[in-house]
Amino acid sequence: MTTPSKIVTNDALADSEPHFVAPGLVDASGPEPRLVAGKCKACGALSFPKAVVCPACLSQDIAAAHLASEGMLYSFATVHQAPKNWIVPYHLGYVDLTDGIRVLAHVEGTPRIEAKVKLGVARVGTAADGTALMSYVFTPVA
Amino acid sequence: MGKSMSKAYVLGTGMIPFGKFPDRTLADIGWPSLREAVLESGVPTSSIDAIYCGSALGGMMSGQRVAKAIGLSGMPIVNVENACSSSSSAIAQACNAIAAGKYDTVAVVGVEKLTKFGGGTLPLENEDWEVTQGMVMPALYAMRANRYMHEFGLTPKQLGEVSVKAHDHGALNPNAQIRKRVTIEEVMAARPVAGPFTLWHCCPTGDGSAALILASQKVAKKHKPAAVHVAASEVTSGKYTNGYRDMTVAELTVRGSHEAYEMAGIAPNDIDVAEIHDAFTIAELMYYEAFGWAKKGEAYQLLSSGATSLGGKIPVNPSGGLLSRGHPVGATGAAQAVEIVRQLEGRAGKHQVEGAKIGLTHATGGGIAGFDHGACSIHIFAK
Repeated sequence: MTTPSKIVTNDALADSEPHFVAPGLVDASGPEPRLVAGKCKACGALSFPKAVVCPACLSQDIAAAHLASEGMLYSFATVHQAPKNWIVPYHLGYVDLTDGIRVLAHVEGTPRIEAKVKLGVARVGTAADGTALMSYVFTPVA
Repeated sequence: MGKSMSKAYVLGTGMIPFGKFPDRTLADIGWPSLREAVLESGVPTSSIDAIYCGSALGGMMSGQRVAKAIGLSGMPIVNVENACSSSSSAIAQACNAIAAGKYDTVAVVGVEKLTKFGGGTLPLENEDWEVTQGMVMPALYAMRANRYMHEFGLTPKQLGEVSVKAHDHGALNPNAQIRKRVTIEEVMAARPVAGPFTLWHCCPTGDGSAALILASQKVAKKHKPAAVHVAASEVTSGKYTNGYRDMTVAELTVRGSHEAYEMAGIAPNDIDVAEIHDAFTIAELMYYEAFGWAKKGEAYQLLSSGATSLGGKIPVNPSGGLLSRGHPVGATGAAQAVEIVRQLEGRAGKHQVEGAKIGLTHATGGGIAGFDHGACSIHIFAK
């Protein structure tokens, strides 16, 4: 299996049963993907990824919640050397979401610090068996 | 370690030149350092009360495997894993036990064999969600670098000068993994690893070990009355947040350095020589600021002034640091301590810092989502 040289969109791969690298982090069932967080029913603290126990108050009563899908790119790195399966080079960045959570994500397009970015889904790698590996990504908003 | 508790003294040091030894076992990488430290200390092996072994990826019973090769067994042997701070955390455990009066003579060994992974970036824990998204250690530091450059106008070329200095020093150190100088042009033209870093911005992977014999004042008086002592021994962990964090500040090191200076009763400018955790070029600059040697955003000015080079006011990483001496993760803290003790004893050779009386070591690391770093351990040694 050769590694694709460019990012392939989710739509283009719809028939090849794409596999999310961390399915619990993103809800891709609706028209727009959403990041899945936890919101503590006792104290309201947000957790990402969704916590099983609240680190703020130790409650185990935590509901699933969607995070904001827009934010600001705090910083990024262009990764040329990575474990197998990843399509290199890729941009990896920290996105400061408008609801106060910082998320690590692949960044598509041309990243720029303090650029406004928006959530999407894209192919980020290829599994050993050739399956497309998908994840949530952020793209600068023009 | 409270000020009122008894100090630990360093009676012996041992270290092998760092490098790549894929054909040697972990035990065979480790025992020569432990043997050298024991022989240098003059302490009979029968009087070693306990052994603390630091290794991040050596596997179960690393300490037992190393110690048995030179006939050390039967005493308490505790294996300490704290990522890049593993063997510095092991030193801290030894200091605590001596300070508490539990033991009089303790051996510490740090050992690592990274060549068993076959190269590439350090393997991280796949349970970590950031790792599932492609996080690698060079990328974490590269994000710090890009943000720092964005905020303070540092250029990639200026950043690369950290590597030039490191290799200037390492070229003088027979224990360094990379014993050659590099030019700024070579740094800039090397293959990219994680932009803005090229290969020369990153510490090499490799194997190595280092060891120390630490003792109470009672034992030190008998074997080595003028021994270097541990003036501060500190371990701390990062503070978790899933919110925003200023990546241009090494929060964990700022906190740890304040504690260490207070323990030792000294100020930042009292440090004569330091071995700090320059896993990547940006780290050294950020730590100048965290340790109080440079103001926020002005670390490069300190570097370019020559103050942190051999012959400067506060030489940093005279061994070559992680970038040149090498960074076999769990062995690094012990290697830094061996370097500083030998500096204070005036036997560092070609990379000797003349007249050094107070030296500092700093090992921090462990990439975990939501932390600046997982762990940080700082020691201050004094004559």
